[in-house]
Amino acid sequence: MHNYVFKTLWRYRTRTLLTVTGTAVAMFVFCFVGSVQQGLDQLTSGIDADRSLIVFQENRFCPTSSRLPQSYADQIKKIDGVAGVMPIQVWTNNCRASLDIVVFNGADPDQIQANRPIQLVEGNWSDFQSRRDAAIVGRNVAQRRGIKTGDQFSIGNISVNIAGVFRSAVPSEENLIYTSLDFLQYTRGLDTAGLVTQHEVLLSEDANPDLVARNIDKTLRAGPVATKTRRKGVFQASTLSDLVDLIGFAHWLGYASVGLVLALVATTTVMSVQDRIKEYAILQTIGVGPFRTLRLVLAESTLLCVLGGIAGTGLALLILGLGGFAIGAEGATIAFRPSVNLFASGVVVSLVVGVISGLAPAVQAATVPIVRALN
Amino acid sequence: MALVELRGVSKSFTKGEETITPLDEVDLDIQAGEFVSLMGPSGTGKSTLLNLISGIDRPDRGTISVDGVEVTGLSRSKLADWRAANLGYIFQTHNLIPVLTTYENVELPTLLLKLSKSQRRQRVELALEAVGLTDRANHYPRQLSGGQEQRVGIARAIVAHPKVVVADEPTGSLDAQTSEQIQTLLQRLNRELDITLLMVTHDRDVAGIASRKLVLDQGKFVDSETAITMGV
Repeated sequence: MHNYVFKTLWRYRTRTLLTVTGTAVAMFVFCFVGSVQQGLDQLTSGIDADRSLIVFQENRFCPTSSRLPQSYADQIKKIDGVAGVMPIQVWTNNCRASLDIVVFNGADPDQIQANRPIQLVEGNWSDFQSRRDAAIVGRNVAQRRGIKTGDQFSIGNISVNIAGVFRSAVPSEENLIYTSLDFLQYTRGLDTAGLVTQHEVLLSEDANPDLVARNIDKTLRAGPVATKTRRKGVFQASTLSDLVDLIGFAHWLGYASVGLVLALVATTTVMSVQDRIKEYAILQTIGVGPFRTLRLVLAESTLLCVLGGIAGTGLALLILGLGGFAIGAEGATIAFRPSVNLFASGVVVSLVVGVISGLAPAVQAATVPIVRALN
Repeated sequence: MALVELRGVSKSFTKGEETITPLDEVDLDIQAGEFVSLMGPSGTGKSTLLNLISGIDRPDRGTISVDGVEVTGLSRSKLADWRAANLGYIFQTHNLIPVLTTYENVELPTLLLKLSKSQRRQRVELALEAVGLTDRANHYPRQLSGGQEQRVGIARAIVAHPKVVVADEPTGSLDAQTSEQIQTLLQRLNRELDITLLMVTHDRDVAGIASRKLVLDQGKFVDSETAITMGV
């Protein structure tokens, strides 16, 4: 009977093609929205987000306005529960929300290699550690800006020599460019010798992050600049709060796409069944049972949906993979990366929507009054 | 015991405020291997009787048994299974599935039975051979003449080796020459393959090929004298 399903879809090929295309477009949007949501989740959860703290200047939001003494690192190291401190100077080309934000993080190269979950896919660490103006670039930025190892990359007053390209277990990190701390502090125009934007605190295994954060702020209250210390995930979510609201709204766009697929495939299947209601009566006259008839119609709607779903999801993942897209604000970025989970959820959603959209016409075909339909 | 037994079968319809009773307390026995034709004026319940025996319609009263199975007591789902294994239906307008080839149309009923692929192939080839359409196996219905389409319909009705085949005016939409070919084919199937046939027709000549003629009028079978006065 599979033959009958395939040939029926082929019989109305224009309608089938239009439905599959419509489904693909809607599932493309669904996947794009899903990748943004996934990027945000990965940014605000996981070991990196929960087990490290960011010490930032109190009541400051943009990295350009946070100026902490680098010497705070020595005081922070002495606090219970702190395993290490990495002073970081941040520079960004745009403090507002942007799809092409470039963020430099200046830190000690040895600390970067030891503490960040990154792996070089091009270049080598020794070049990065030995040259003052050397930088390693996240895979996303490299893709987006067409940067390769050995290139000279300039933006604003900063000009760096690319020593390597890295990938990271934390997708948002692939939107960063790492340089040495000294280089970024002494860059013309920044004038931040002895100052850093933030301190990243690595916690010991048994440390309570919130308690350590409170102790850091308490200890540094006596210093020249008051601080606000938060878990890294909370810090990033708070930095991107406007975008988080927007992403929350975009979530509904994802649901709307699924609704659109449901309406589209249901309409096509209803039309198809109504056009062929006599055929279903003939099939039942020769012995095709109501459950088999139900399955035939559901197979049609599910096939339409899954074909469109795979096409839309596949295209979305391809574009996400090649594009290296990210959205960022105030030095924090959300990466849109393709993933197996995203593909699987796209296919599963298509499958479920396919079955649901075919239910009403399937019941109609299965319960058709045979004699009336034959006449 | 008769292969097909109808006892006190009645069926009524309402059309507006009028109630029509095409079948009124009908009794009928058809023996295995019989070829029965059913005639009568339009609207006298010939097709209704065929549909009731096929289980695609249900009587208001009475019982219908085929080979000892009371089909009137079966659920819609069980009836479909029963039809797949026991009944062949020849439509007046062929009613082939347009997207399927001749072979696939004939194969359809065998897909509903527990048969291996080679058994199915064997049955389809035999059925196509019986109706003389082996060379048209890969043609689609639109590529066939009306007579060929009806022969495909007949092959589809006999391919599952049903106990009884019902035919609703099988020559009704064919020209005289093609009609004769179909009549000969039906006779041959009855004689050579011992298929039990119940055929509805308006045509006295077509009815003549059957071994027994029945006439329905006003919901009841009438005797041969009454039938003659009715001109059927």
